[in-house]
Amino acid sequence: MKTKSLMYWIFLAPVLAALLIVVVVPFVWGIYYSLTEWSGDMAQTPVFKGFDNYANLLSDPTFLSSLWFTFKYAIVTVVIINIVGFSLALIVTSYIKSKNILRTIFFMPNLIGGLILGFIWQFIFTNIFNAIGSAMGVEMLQGWLATPATGFWGMVILHVWQMAGYIMIIYIAYLQSIPDELLEAADMDGANYMQKLKNVIAPLVAPAFTVSMFLTLSGSFKIYDQNLSLTGGGPGGSTKMIAMDIVDTAFAMNTMGMAQAKAVVFFIIVAILSLTQVYYNKKKEVEL
Amino acid sequence: MSKTKWGCSLLLSLTLLLGACGNSGDGGGSVSEGSDGEGGSGDGEVTIDVYQFKVEFREQFEELIAQYEEENPDVTINVETVGGGNDYGATLKSKIASGEEPDIFNIGGPQDYEDHKDRIAPIEDSEAVDTALDGTLDAVTIDDQVYGIPYNLEGYGLIYNKQILDEAGINPEELTTMEDLQAATEKLDSMKEELGLDAVYAFPGKERWVYGNHTSSSFLAPEFNNNVMDAFAADTVEFELSEELKTYIDMQAEYSVTPVLSLDYSQQVEALYSMGKVAMIQQGNWAYPSVEQIAPEVAENSGILPIPVDGESKMPVGVPQYWVVNSGADEEVQTAAVEFLDWMYTSDAGKEIVLNEFNFIPAFENYDTSQISDPLSKEIYEYTEEGNTSGWVFLGYPTGFSEDVFGNNVQQYLSDEITWDEAMENSKEYWEENR
Repeated sequence: MKTKSLMYWIFLAPVLAALLIVVVVPFVWGIYYSLTEWSGDMAQTPVFKGFDNYANLLSDPTFLSSLWFTFKYAIVTVVIINIVGFSLALIVTSYIKSKNILRTIFFMPNLIGGLILGFIWQFIFTNIFNAIGSAMGVEMLQGWLATPATGFWGMVILHVWQMAGYIMIIYIAYLQSIPDELLEAADMDGANYMQKLKNVIAPLVAPAFTVSMFLTLSGSFKIYDQNLSLTGGGPGGSTKMIAMDIVDTAFAMNTMGMAQAKAVVFFIIVAILSLTQVYYNKKKEVEL
Repeated sequence: MSKTKWGCSLLLSLTLLLGACGNSGDGGGSVSEGSDGEGGSGDGEVTIDVYQFKVEFREQFEELIAQYEEENPDVTINVETVGGGNDYGATLKSKIASGEEPDIFNIGGPQDYEDHKDRIAPIEDSEAVDTALDGTLDAVTIDDQVYGIPYNLEGYGLIYNKQILDEAGINPEELTTMEDLQAATEKLDSMKEELGLDAVYAFPGKERWVYGNHTSSSFLAPEFNNNVMDAFAADTVEFELSEELKTYIDMQAEYSVTPVLSLDYSQQVEALYSMGKVAMIQQGNWAYPSVEQIAPEVAENSGILPIPVDGESKMPVGVPQYWVVNSGADEEVQTAAVEFLDWMYTSDAGKEIVLNEFNFIPAFENYDTSQISDPLSKEIYEYTEEGNTSGWVFLGYPTGFSEDVFGNNVQQYLSDEITWDEAMENSKEYWEENR
């Protein structure tokens, strides 16, 4: 028994070491830096300031506005991505003929990097939308990304387009594992499609909801590259997500300590939200 | 049995660990060798690591280095180029943090000097410094000691299409006050259809640096006596010409191709100006190569006029970046670095390349400036010769002021979220807090 547990640790050691080096140590250092005033220059020694940075956070308008923006964004995207992803999964697990090619097509956006996606959609929003809008006289399609509202929805559309296919794959896996006899039994009982969906399918794919919600929730909070390339936080910093605000605070404003404080607060928020969400979703899952 | 298994697994995990460590160790070592290991060879051979920001001339710069290495076989120069304002500053910082300090790098002005002053060596016995044009060293002179060598001169203003202005019967040389400019703008606007224009201007609302750095600098220069060091030392900013600045920005936005706030640099310069869809844009001579590539006839027909400020028409000319030498590098590397920079700007071969390959407006004396080929640079150089210039004070703004504060506030103003006065107040407040 003793050797066994020793073996266990030895096999675990490389991973643990890697985790320690790239996650735990920087994390602890980060917390330390958040208590200092520091420009990020290695030649300077950080000056210890206690909780000053945290106190200043509350009066930092860009932090609060980007936090609020990120919240709104996360709620909207989580809902839409999961609805779209689940619907796509239902479509490609039904008996339509082109389901294999459709799966590939729906998944494809996820293979493109976020930065490039941002630039592609920037072109679509500012040039193609504009051209269509002015050709057909549709006011709504003109001036995308130039106002806070269109910037927000632009980001949402991009992210949904990118992530829906990925989430679809997770739902497909669970949908396919639903035993046919259960669905047939429901048919025999005279259930229509919506009833089957609500009472048979949904409870059985609940674990997929847990996973997908977790992935999309934390993903929506941490989004950076799409934000950078699509809107760059503009106009007027109105579409600046929290991750971008942290990077700007650290590298444009040269206030690394402040940026670290923001990052720590951000971490706590995401951790609390994700854990709560997983806890509640877990309760909804059913065992077969 | 269990012993062999034990041994095997131990070996395996150790190999993995060592593999990982070994790799990273190797990578770090070979790259950083240049910055701290060259003293070891001892027979006069030096390696200089250059970390520079101007993407536009990377190839030409590497050719120049190849030529220099040929003439000086005991010098090896490695260049790394990372472009664009923020990126350069941030990557330089991470490069330094990782222990791979370059021997020559770039700074923009006094704020950058402040950030890196522990590793910037004073430059002594340099011909380039001795021949630098008046005023070009101000931003890197601290207590009478020079710390940097200027890249080149650049100027910005309103680039106009001569042909279009001709057709509209406007003489650009007469546009010396804001009222003149407004009258001309309205005239152009009324003739849009005949001239085939989409709008008079293309105001790149998305590019905060255009107005955050350049426009604001033009209107703040008088307040800071045209001196970047005055701006850097100022505890407050007054925006004395706030009204005129507002008029100018309003005019640009009103007569611009819309939507203004998603218009970017490439649309402004390439899609609109180069295609003759707008008559004027606010940019600098750096935009010339892009225009030339797309529409040579438009490029040849371009002129540049200064943004009229306070009834005066002075060309804002400045040095975009300086070369500095790392004081942490070995003595001989530092000397070799200065020698290289001197050679680039003062030897005949170097001058030839600077002028004709880099297409720089030289910041130094003794150049045959008749060789400057593009019309924008030529005009800017003429303003410099006449002494009819104003300073680039934006290099002395507090960190983050130009784009994240002033730029953002103007964007918010343009999208009607705040008033102009609020935008000004927010900017002033940030300046005071961050000084």
